[in-house]
Amino acid sequence: MSDKNIHVHHVTRIEGHADIHVVVTGGRVETVRWEIPESPRLFEVMLLGRDHSDAAHIASRICGICSISHSIASLRASEAAFGIVPSEQTERLRRLLFAAEILESHILHIYFLAAPDFLGADSAFSLAASHREVVLRAMNLKRLAYTLADRLAGRKTHPISCVVGGFAKLPSPGLLEEARAQIEAAIPDLEETAQLLATFDIPGFTRETEYIGLTAADDYPFIGRTVASSDTGVAPIEEFLPTIREHCRPHSTAKHARHERESYMVGALARFNLNAANLHPRALRAAAALGLNAPCHNPYLITAAQAVEVVHAAEDSLVQIDALLEAGIRPETIHVSPRAGRGIGVVEAPRGLLIHDYTYDDDGRVTAADCIIPTAQNHGNIQRDFEALVPAIVDRSEEEIRRALEMLARAYDPCVSCSTHELKVRLDVER
Amino acid sequence: MKPKVAFFDFTCCEGCQLDALNMTGDQLASLLDAVDIVEFRETKTGTADHYDIAFVEGSISRDAEIPRLRGIRERAEVLVALGACACIGGVNCLKNAFEPEDALRRVYGDDAVHYDTIPARPIDAVVAVDHYLHGCPINGEEFRRTVADLLLGVTPRVPNYPVCVECKMAGNVCVFERGGSCVGPIIRGGCNAVCVTAGRHCWGCRGLVDDPNVNAQKEILERAGLDVEEVLEKFRIYLSCRKEAS
Amino acid sequence: MNERRTPRPSHALSADALAAMFARLAQSMRVVAPTERDGRFAYAPVDRFEEVRLDFDTTVLPPTVHLLPAKELLLRVRLGEAGSAEQVVDDLPTALFGVHPYDLRAIELLDEAFLGTRPDPHYAARRRNLLIVGIDCLHPSATSFAPSMGTQVATSGFDLLLTDIGEAHVATVGSDRGASTIDGLPGLRAATDAEIAEVGAQRDAATARFLVELDVPRERVARLLVDHYDDPYWEERSNTCLSCGSCVMVCPTCFCFDVADDVGLDLTSSSRVRRWDGCMLSDFARVAGGENFRATSAGRFRHRMLRKGKYLMERYGVVGCVGCGRCATACLSEIASPAEAWNAIAKIDRERREEQRAAAVDGSFVPQSVSLGRVVSLADKEKLFVLGLPGGRGIGHMPGQFVMLSVPGVGEAPISISSSPTREGTLDLAIRDVGNVTHAIHGLEVGAHVGIRGPFGNGFPIDALEWKDLVLVAGGIGLFPLRSLIQYVLDRRERFGEMTVLYGARTPADRLFVDELDQWAARDDLRLLQTVDHGAEGWDGPVGLITTLISPLEIEPAKTMAVVVGPPVMYRFVIAELKKKGLGDNQIILSLERHMKCGTGKCGHCQINGLTVCQDGPVFTLAQLRELPEAVQ
Repeated sequence: MSDKNIHVHHVTRIEGHADIHVVVTGGRVETVRWEIPESPRLFEVMLLGRDHSDAAHIASRICGICSISHSIASLRASEAAFGIVPSEQTERLRRLLFAAEILESHILHIYFLAAPDFLGADSAFSLAASHREVVLRAMNLKRLAYTLADRLAGRKTHPISCVVGGFAKLPSPGLLEEARAQIEAAIPDLEETAQLLATFDIPGFTRETEYIGLTAADDYPFIGRTVASSDTGVAPIEEFLPTIREHCRPHSTAKHARHERESYMVGALARFNLNAANLHPRALRAAAALGLNAPCHNPYLITAAQAVEVVHAAEDSLVQIDALLEAGIRPETIHVSPRAGRGIGVVEAPRGLLIHDYTYDDDGRVTAADCIIPTAQNHGNIQRDFEALVPAIVDRSEEEIRRALEMLARAYDPCVSCSTHELKVRLDVER
Repeated sequence: MKPKVAFFDFTCCEGCQLDALNMTGDQLASLLDAVDIVEFRETKTGTADHYDIAFVEGSISRDAEIPRLRGIRERAEVLVALGACACIGGVNCLKNAFEPEDALRRVYGDDAVHYDTIPARPIDAVVAVDHYLHGCPINGEEFRRTVADLLLGVTPRVPNYPVCVECKMAGNVCVFERGGSCVGPIIRGGCNAVCVTAGRHCWGCRGLVDDPNVNAQKEILERAGLDVEEVLEKFRIYLSCRKEAS
Repeated sequence: MNERRTPRPSHALSADALAAMFARLAQSMRVVAPTERDGRFAYAPVDRFEEVRLDFDTTVLPPTVHLLPAKELLLRVRLGEAGSAEQVVDDLPTALFGVHPYDLRAIELLDEAFLGTRPDPHYAARRRNLLIVGIDCLHPSATSFAPSMGTQVATSGFDLLLTDIGEAHVATVGSDRGASTIDGLPGLRAATDAEIAEVGAQRDAATARFLVELDVPRERVARLLVDHYDDPYWEERSNTCLSCGSCVMVCPTCFCFDVADDVGLDLTSSSRVRRWDGCMLSDFARVAGGENFRATSAGRFRHRMLRKGKYLMERYGVVGCVGCGRCATACLSEIASPAEAWNAIAKIDRERREEQRAAAVDGSFVPQSVSLGRVVSLADKEKLFVLGLPGGRGIGHMPGQFVMLSVPGVGEAPISISSSPTREGTLDLAIRDVGNVTHAIHGLEVGAHVGIRGPFGNGFPIDALEWKDLVLVAGGIGLFPLRSLIQYVLDRRERFGEMTVLYGARTPADRLFVDELDQWAARDDLRLLQTVDHGAEGWDGPVGLITTLISPLEIEPAKTMAVVVGPPVMYRFVIAELKKKGLGDNQIILSLERHMKCGTGKCGHCQINGLTVCQDGPVFTLAQLRELPEAVQ
């Protein structure tokens, strides 16, 4: 049969609402569309006029999975605007908090969103019956991440203690020691996660694209200021930001981004491609066991890169905790003097490069806000991947094509509801 | 036949659904023993045409969401509003300070014509709601208790006392004593005063108690030497939603 | 050890000895002590002595939270398994290291409440395993008024009590456990006389540092609160109450709690948990049907002040508020301090007394002179005297009140007023000739002058009678005061429900106010039922005791009030019949008579137990009389 009509309304097992449309007539691909019908959230107007002490609180609500990423990006934007340099203690604690989010988000994606496809189930709930140990492991790893974040910030979803300049409440050394023990005990489970992925029958699709993410000379950074592109090299965020172009697509509330090429990728695979050499040895071993080598151009392997990153995040957490315990936790008096100006905060959210760009007045109120969301940057790449993939599998059944496209979308771990309420710095319209 | 449970979301961050799932493996096993999760787009494929309990997260901020919500209400025996966005509108209501067209224009510029938005509102502005799980995000323990209660045919209890009660139970030093301002005295408890315990103040995400003494709250802020309007402006992050006629 | 002997300071501990005592305790129990928290102090489990802050002024939460924690698991139950309820107690040995005397007194109150009737095993387990080291409060918080409550020093309730005298801590041993806690500590020695004297000096100096005090002796507070129960103060003051519960949460003598079941997702394991609750929270007194029995913040505010100032002491014999001042600090609206509330009520009381003194309502014996306007013979020994008042004005009386009627050279007698204040310018006194004064009056004619003082007494409770159905039972000359009420009701007819008047006379010839009785009988807004004990020629009405008129009545007890006046012997039987009709003790009103010489509560003759008929009566509810053993015949 050479006519295919595939219309997926609200792809399941992704965060947010997205649709897939494929129309093939007489063997010819007429339509391939990755479409975002998500409601515009309009966070830019929500932030307008708000006091700096509320900005991160509101920005956190952009996303329920990566609320820590949004909070920290928001705080760093405010700090950059006010010229505040957080202490090393704060940096380490934020890094630790970030690890909790990477851990939870990736585990959620690997086990709950992606794995069912590879294990013949329609959800992690049905996996709970057929692969009980697997699901229990996932739940426990998630709990670990939640507990770590609870201890550091009061709560994982929409963290509380993080403020401009530091932490409103610091963890005790005892809590850090407990956390250290729990993380260390969980590392075998994380290695198991990578091993589980090695058993999956990952489709062998490749399409090279531009990979963008934070970078550092001797770190695999999730928090930083320096951005790398696999095409153009390294630049500080202030220089890099103006070179990203976003444009609207009809029928999609999310915009597409481009840099050097028509589209680019951010996220775990992009980070891996850019910074793999700086992974913790145990994470490198996990990558090797998965057969994952940089550069990797198969978007289906984003999930594998995530499995590598959770091992790295756990190991890095131990390093951070040891450093904090060595130095001792010191109370800090935080004093914020707001001033007019603009500041950019950039982090690697689980799904990729996340930028918060705020402008303040002298009273410390937001006069303009831009948020560039990782998944928004990936929408273009997903579209292009679809356009490359469909012709290659056009002879398969509708069911198989649908599955392949859904799994590809899922591999990107898109966070769609975040991606629809950003503002653009420059707007190019493409019809 | 196990009760059929479903999760839906509208305009939200999806954090409440995920927090609902944040439980131990044993608890998840118990839950899956007790119910059939028939629809939960974020985690599974599958739909159903009847639900014993439907959890709905998110507020309504688009015309297209209204018929979808009504459809869910028709198919659900019990409908539970999950989280601040569904219960009281949540942070989404901050955008209501702007006219919808103005808000879209500020965000999308000339492309605003492709998008639509209406003033955000809680779901009970559109359909009848049977129970409310407050908070931004919800409290996982409260969620589990509510599920157990609903399955046992017990009406879940929603606290109607201010956050101060739980702050004192936690042994916190009052935010006002530390020189800050807090709206906890008129906000519904049930969160274990987590934000104050974590070093901040209450922002009011669980909404007002049934009979708040707002005048007393204003007096307290004045006596603390705070600019009342400025402080109340801060707290309108969650409390500014009005039920719009649907 | 002789427990009746008051413990006295006996030993001195150096700083090292104190640290050693802490270490000794920490070896075998969890030590909870005051520590610094966010600029204030809080009790917390402490591992290192350096964290302990014995110089604290007060703590956010009282040490009683270790006897009654915020959440406490009571039972574990497995649903579906009958009899599976398993009690859970916490008996972890704990030492409270540093408890101020006012908190010691609070613990005494909790002991009474939880270990008295039906002892609470959860509290008992914690209490048994609790060692208490008290410490004198030398630097009180700004809101504490412990001295006014007698709680700034303690002579009991501790195993050990420490007093910081600068170079050492003096120890007072309160129990064997306390003795063994310091026994053999390095740096422990007997206290010198000077050191023991210094303990007293420190306590005296500390007493002067308390900034808040009660303006009245604390023993008077209970009575003041009762006297001013309906004062508008309660509503005015509680206007800014947030019902936030902070006051009750931080209070050492508060112990109200809620109990709820938490069921796990397995739908089998259930925990019955108790959590702090408080009468100041808006839904505290709400029942499942929706009724809220203390729905206003004014009602709740008043209740708390009475609980702390009266009810707890009466129930448990221990002071109900220890004056720690925590509530005053915690209350954002600054209305929580009992000292402030009680002082305010005391001030209102003083002002009212001043007003009363200033007004002409005094205790003078000089009567007002009035003339007899009309004299009507009612029956053999009864006459009606209609008094002419100067200017035709009334004397401002209410039905049920009386005057002291004065005949110079003979004396005074208390006489009920028989007319309603709604009938301007008249003052009817219906009098039976029974003694010297009444006999003298019976001999007077129109135009003669007599003296009256008053009105005295409390009158019938019009507020409680309005909007109700009334059953008025007059036996014989009980109709004298009841006539005043009947006229009042007829003059304000729309404010009352159905009115039934039962009137019993000994014989038809003894009937009083016959013309008025006929008028009442003819009305359709009043039902008059009459009887006589003994019939006579020409009487075709009922014959029988007045009680026989009661049982055929059809009344709705929920909305009926009964007022009964008559000879003492009648009351018991009438009350019995009214009770059979389902009336509560607060729905039966009686007027009593006693010998009186002054009418102003001083001569002492009209006392019934602790009350006076002339001031607290003559009108009483049956409920009140039940509390007066002498009133019951």
